[in-house]
Order: sequence, then C-alpha cells, then structure tokens
Amino acid sequence: MTHAVRPTPRRLDAFTLASEPGNERLALARVADCVADVGLGPARLERLKTAVAEATMNAIEHGNGNQPEILVEIEVTQNGDDIIVAISDRGGVTHADSGDHAEPDLVKKLDGEQSPRGWGLFLIRNMVDAMDIRTDGQRHTIWLTMRTGGDAHDEHV
Amino acid sequence: MTSMCEATTRALPGAAVIELRGEVDGSAAAVLSAAYERAVEAGHAGRDATDSDPGTVVLDFAAVDYINSTGIALIVSVLARARAERRKVVASGLSAHYREIFDITRLSDFIELFPDLDRAVSQLTGPAA
Repeated sequence: MTHAVRPTPRRLDAFTLASEPGNERLALARVADCVADVGLGPARLERLKTAVAEATMNAIEHGNGNQPEILVEIEVTQNGDDIIVAISDRGGVTHADSGDHAEPDLVKKLDGEQSPRGWGLFLIRNMVDAMDIRTDGQRHTIWLTMRTGGDAHDEHV
Repeated sequence: MTSMCEATTRALPGAAVIELRGEVDGSAAAVLSAAYERAVEAGHAGRDATDSDPGTVVLDFAAVDYINSTGIALIVSVLARARAERRKVVASGLSAHYREIFDITRLSDFIELFPDLDRAVSQLTGPAA
C-alpha cells in the first residue's frame, strides 16, 4: 500500500494592514506580487485580486470598524496546487459577513426592494474556487482558495 | 497608488457619454452622480424639443483600472435611476475581468456591453456620427 506524499504548506507572505479604507488596494497588490510565479493564469489572478480586495474591505469596514489601530492580518500559503489567502480581523461573531450570505438580486435592487449594496461576499464566492469563514472568539477569518492547476476555463473570459 | 474617479461628459445625437477614469469605488459616488446629471442635461440640450426619447447614457470604462463592490452598487444606482427615467444605459471599454463581473452580477442583462466607445457610439448614432 502506498501513500501519496502530501506537500508541506509553504508560506508565501504574511503581513498586516491598518484598517483604513483604501488599504485593500495594498493587499491586492502585495498578494498579486507574491503569487506572480505560482502558475495562476491572468484571468484567475484578476479574480483572486478582486476576492482579496473585497475580503480586505470587509475586514477593514465590517470587522475592524475602520479603526486604523486594529490591524487586518493577511497570510498567503501554497499547499500543493492550492493558493490560500487567509484574511483576519477582530470582528468576532458580530461581523457583518456572518449574516450577509443572501444572494443579491439585481432586479430587486433596481426596483428598490434591496439596497444597491451587498455585492462583496457574492463577488468573493464567485471569484475563487473555495471560500471558508470561521470565527474564533473575536478573531474572524476568511479563507480564499484558488487552484493553480486547471486554468483551462480561463480561456473563455 | 490609488487614483480618484474622474468623469467627463459629452453629448451626441440621442446619447450622452460619461467617460470615467481612475477607480470606481465608494469615493466615486459624488462624481458619478454629478456626471449623470450633466449627461442628462447635455442630452436634453442636444435634442429636438419634440423628441420624446429620453436617450441613452453611455458609461465608458476604458480608463478605469479598478471597480469594487461599492462601485458596482453605484452603477446599480445609476441604472435604477436611468430605468426610472426610461433611459437606456450601455457600457464600453470594460476589461475581460470586469465584463465577467457584469455577467456574474447580471448587470449585462440590463446594460449592453460594447468593446470600446467608438463601437458604442457608432451603434447608437449611426456611422455618420
């Protein structure tokens, strides 16, 4: 009986950002830099950048309440074919993400039955291969997973 | 590294163009709203008083390098307002990534997408424009 050898996860980067609106652009640029050579196609890289920006915006605004002294923590790991970006804030169980899983409905938004906002988690879910959210006490983390293999469906976008 | 949203408007026969530059995010709210007002006024000024067609608003994104979820919400608000005024909204110059986002959000069901402004204008005003 043989066992597949599981690769050891490799940390590509870890950094923190002050919780100030606009810093999501710093996050997406730094994540894009550190995954530049891992084999993500251009379209999938753009999707990951959008997901990272949206998740960081949520962490800044909904998690840490735009308080600059509370840091957003970002860690980028490669585990086999998976690139995993973990974005943590201090929003705990009151984090707006915790209750914002309803699908936005554009028709309802256009008819004034839903706020025009509320696209963040929807975009994240549709940009990455997997998304997971966990809360441990005050620590609220979203994991974004993007596979580096199987870029074939990049071609149609 | 961030660049504030800027907008210029111009009127064409039957259409008003809003050319956006920079980033379409929460900070673009006032810019986009003011640009829409100017575009509508410019569209009125450029039309025959007997013309009942409220016209088309073209949003050109060719010089936009970033749109986030709040920017999507602003575009939804512009579209809602235009629909209430029976105006058509079309978009041009979106990158492949943002075209995908317009598809995912279903904005492209309500906003016709053109590869570039020239093709949008040509389609809306005819080849002589």
